[in-house]
Amino acid sequence: MILYLVRRLGSLLVLLVVMTAVVYGIFYAIPADPAILVCGKGCDGAQLAVVHHKLGLDQPITAQYWHFLEGLVVGRDYSSGPDVTHCAAPCLGYSFQTDLPVLSLIAQRLPVSLSLTAGALVLWTVTGVSLGLVSALREKRLTDRLITVFVLGGLGTPVFVSGLLLLMVFCGWLQWLDFPVYVPLTEDPAGWARNLILPWLTLTILQSAIFTRLTRTGMLETLSEDHIRTFRAYGLPERRVIGRHALRGALTPLISINAVEFGVVLVNAMLTETLFGLPGIGQLIVQSSNNVDLPVVAGLTLTAGLAVVLANTAADLLYATVDRRVVLA
Amino acid sequence: MTELVTEVGGPGAPASGPPARARQVLRRLRSDRPAMAGLVVTVVLILAAVFAPLLAAIEGQDTTTFHIQLLDSARGGVPRGALGGVSADHWLGVEPTTGRDLFARALYGARISFTVAFGTLVVQLLLGVAIGLAAGFGGRVADAALGRLIDLAISFPQLMFAIALLAIVPQSFPRPVLLMLVIGLFNWGGTARLTRGQVLSLKTRDYVAAARLSGASPARIALREILPGALPQVLTYAAILLPTNMVSEAGLSFLGVGVHPPTSSWGQMLSTATTWFRADPMYVLVPGLSLLTAVLAFTLFADGLRAALDPKASPRGRR
Amino acid sequence: MLRKVPVLLTAAAVLAAASACSSGGSTSASGGSSFDPKNCQGGTLYILNQDSATDEHFDPARIYTSGGGAVPSLVFRTLTTRKRVPGEAGTTVAPDLATDTGTPSDDAKTWTYHLRDGLKFEDGTPITSEDVKWGVERSFAPELPGGIPYLRDWLVGGADYTGPYKGKELDSIQTPTDKTIVFKLRKPEGDFPYVATATQFAPVPKAKDGGTAFEKHPISSGPYKVQTHVQDKSLTLVRNPNWSRAADDQRLACPDRIEATYGLSAAVINQRLSTSSGKDANAITTDTDLSPAELARISTDPNLKKRTVRGQFGYTNFIAFNTKVKPFDDVRVRQAISYAVNRQAAVIAVGGSSLATAATTFLPDQAAFGYQPYDAFPAGPTGNPTKAKELLAQAGQSNLSITLAHRNSDSHQDGPAVATAVQEALKQAGITVNLKAYDQASYRSVQTKPSTEPGIFLSGWGADWPTGGPFLAPIFDGRQILKDGGNYNFAQYDDPKVNAEFDATNKISDPVQARPRWGALDAELGEQALTVPLFHPIYLRLYGKNVKNPYLDQWRGSYDVAMVSVK
Repeated sequence: MILYLVRRLGSLLVLLVVMTAVVYGIFYAIPADPAILVCGKGCDGAQLAVVHHKLGLDQPITAQYWHFLEGLVVGRDYSSGPDVTHCAAPCLGYSFQTDLPVLSLIAQRLPVSLSLTAGALVLWTVTGVSLGLVSALREKRLTDRLITVFVLGGLGTPVFVSGLLLLMVFCGWLQWLDFPVYVPLTEDPAGWARNLILPWLTLTILQSAIFTRLTRTGMLETLSEDHIRTFRAYGLPERRVIGRHALRGALTPLISINAVEFGVVLVNAMLTETLFGLPGIGQLIVQSSNNVDLPVVAGLTLTAGLAVVLANTAADLLYATVDRRVVLA
Repeated sequence: MTELVTEVGGPGAPASGPPARARQVLRRLRSDRPAMAGLVVTVVLILAAVFAPLLAAIEGQDTTTFHIQLLDSARGGVPRGALGGVSADHWLGVEPTTGRDLFARALYGARISFTVAFGTLVVQLLLGVAIGLAAGFGGRVADAALGRLIDLAISFPQLMFAIALLAIVPQSFPRPVLLMLVIGLFNWGGTARLTRGQVLSLKTRDYVAAARLSGASPARIALREILPGALPQVLTYAAILLPTNMVSEAGLSFLGVGVHPPTSSWGQMLSTATTWFRADPMYVLVPGLSLLTAVLAFTLFADGLRAALDPKASPRGRR
Repeated sequence: MLRKVPVLLTAAAVLAAASACSSGGSTSASGGSSFDPKNCQGGTLYILNQDSATDEHFDPARIYTSGGGAVPSLVFRTLTTRKRVPGEAGTTVAPDLATDTGTPSDDAKTWTYHLRDGLKFEDGTPITSEDVKWGVERSFAPELPGGIPYLRDWLVGGADYTGPYKGKELDSIQTPTDKTIVFKLRKPEGDFPYVATATQFAPVPKAKDGGTAFEKHPISSGPYKVQTHVQDKSLTLVRNPNWSRAADDQRLACPDRIEATYGLSAAVINQRLSTSSGKDANAITTDTDLSPAELARISTDPNLKKRTVRGQFGYTNFIAFNTKVKPFDDVRVRQAISYAVNRQAAVIAVGGSSLATAATTFLPDQAAFGYQPYDAFPAGPTGNPTKAKELLAQAGQSNLSITLAHRNSDSHQDGPAVATAVQEALKQAGITVNLKAYDQASYRSVQTKPSTEPGIFLSGWGADWPTGGPFLAPIFDGRQILKDGGNYNFAQYDDPKVNAEFDATNKISDPVQARPRWGALDAELGEQALTVPLFHPIYLRLYGKNVKNPYLDQWRGSYDVAMVSVK
């Protein structure tokens, strides 16, 4: 177990180095010059050179990447005009656009994205599993068909369509809810939840289909297995057969799906945050990618890599706990 | 879907030989009415996409010609007349601000959407099933290495990559192929993890152990014993990937890195139409309902196929 | 010379102008009727925006905005400012910190200003000419990039100056007394009072200046001071107790508090403004216009129509040629394209006649710029493909195939919508147009560097202040071809005669006298087919139910926040 965790950690470091190197590589290939965006349009060649120097863009891309790694380990110094400020390790550098430390930019926005995705995750898991369960138990009947149509409708609707529809109906037309603004959980839990209902729903509409379908298939699979038939033959109550035994078998594969869907969820969270104007990580990804704000993109990539590895490790551990036949690799 | 059947269908229940098994699957499939309905609709949609030029020619329109005389310039360029300008000339009306024919654009759009969605699915299944099998079956080192590869694919900065490709890849490179690669190369992790999970779980089953004891090679066990068992879950997931791929393509269009104008795709149409749905609902309904119909048809068929392929299911189904 | 790019003015697709033009008077009636400047104070005004581009760095040295901007000008007073009135007069300069708009001498090469009495910073210390000088000087520091380019170009010694932090002063700014400041320019610039509206002319107390840290606690000289500012998210302004209307006749400053939110999507902003429930009844936006789809819906809803203001900002969307790239070096090819374009299709592509007017002149259709109507290549509203084919045949280009570069989004009206309209029109003239999309960051980099500039591409231009000079010079003055980037002379056109005309007209310090000369120059340049003007955008914006006196000023085409009331 400990050995397993150590190995995961080791490979995590390799992963992060590879990924950030890729980011720098991509950046090198894009014709966009971030200095032009920073400098404003009144900049001539001389001014651009000054900004290039300030941002470190006058150095070869390999040196820039080396400084980035260096900053992570030992920190870096930056000039603020009259003074020099030190950015302590682990230093992700300063945003080209806002001059803010990348670490604090990400830290500031992380709670928003966590609130969005964690809440939505619970919602779509619960919705998906219950709909899938009902669907499986009523296989090929009207309920099953309706659920299928419903979840697939959601699956086939991009978040920028469903989100806007929800906004127009609930905030614009019925006015049951105010237009969502992010309220921190620590300040006002009720307001936090109320404001996040629509973003959660938007993601749930899209994501619950996967759970509904997989639960349904999984349930049908397990229900047809020998041991379930045996339980039934022994006259075990149906509720117990399903709740205790069948569901457990059906849910096992779902664990790894949540972790692996991370990439898809991230993209959809990005679109949802942009649409609803939630100041989270996803919105930052869109902004920084559009502005070729290299330090921010690199920092976000590190964060995403970290989150993926953590989520997958957790999924593996959980998987091993639920299904004892699985050995940790 | 047909690729799927030929790729992985066939072997399964050890008792009956492959041809008998295939016949059984077909028989089951034929008796499943919703699945057949799904198949018919899918085929119709694919035919419509294939014969898009012919159908558009019958209507007498193409995808690029502007018809600005059909638009109300003072009102934002919304089509004049009911239902977004539906008429004998324009069967589904015209696009706001350009007046291009929606019927023709939806037909041609289907070509791109199907190509991208299926092409991406092939990439995803090839990579995902292969890597998932290898990871679940190849021992600890292989599993760990492939696991990290999956992590890398999932956490990759896709948006920046897509933007970079837009700027770097030459104009002449076919855009749909590029989209397939962008979506496919980073989204096979789900298939791989799912396959791996199934393999790990199936590996310890009795019938696999029996096969091993009887001296079957690991490759044979992987392909003949494990894969068929893992297939129902993978297939269900694949049926979900298909619409997800279509929606991903829409998302890329929305972010400005989709197909090149003036090419249309359902995703491109939907992403430009979103804001119009109160002023010109037809503009949203055409790509929206097309997408929904296709998604439903695929899934009904895949569902039936899954049930038919299930080696454990009773021949009569579970009605 | 403000182009519609995020760093400038207002971000995405903004910039409208004056409600007073056309139906302005009646559209703002719901607010105007009960509005009383004497009794307008109170309440909180909410600003719903997409980007915080203008306010990204809330530092007067780094802000690049026209006429002092919407929000910055509430905190940073400047030597002069735009005149806060609706309509045509809104394009003129008014004194702000200074007693007048400036006294020129030495052929408009020296400009002298006197500060008015009773000026104070938010901490109560009096504002002196030294503070203004410091404010201008620090905008030269490389740590604070982003501001206007004119100071570097115009002030004697400006080109080599690197800011005051290392102890060096800029000698061309003199402060003979606490109340007097003199600027020495290296060439005549009649438009100096317009430039003195920029935030770089705001006073900054040397003692409180922490370089890049200044924006954390910018010291206010205007009616509001910053309470909190989270970049890209929000900005909250509260009253500055040391400001009074007695010392400022250009700002009403009605709301007690102003809360701006950034990072919202355009669709949500307009949806919130049209619903106008709760706090949104007190809301406006300084950067989001109605899209064609929203216009189509609102045009059938009289209640929403009432809460819409209309305006124009001097802006021209055009096709740019790089005459160093074949075949665009051939004037006949450029003329052929000028004849072939279908302006009606281009206008409708961006939302039709309510959102744009077809353009045949490079100068915007407003008197302040010196607008004189002309059409060098008359082809009617939908183009003349026959004439275009003739010209192409003369040029020996019968099967012409070209690649038109454009942005990958329609946010700046130089995206796929206009590109396909142009593509379709040129097809009628037998020209095959391939489209090449660039992401927004690359697009700017690529087109403003002559070595990477495409041969033909979609672009747009707006002026930093409403006169002909800044509208024409960056595009057509041969001495403004910048080889290393930041170039807007896309055609790379350099004619000594034209350059001389720029110098001669810049000597005129009365803008009204300069107008006919800019108009004549525009018509002369139009003959060269260096650009193909497509359309001038019109801007429509919504405001919340409680908002009073909401007009779009004609200088920037945006709400004048200093004049809006929510009481």
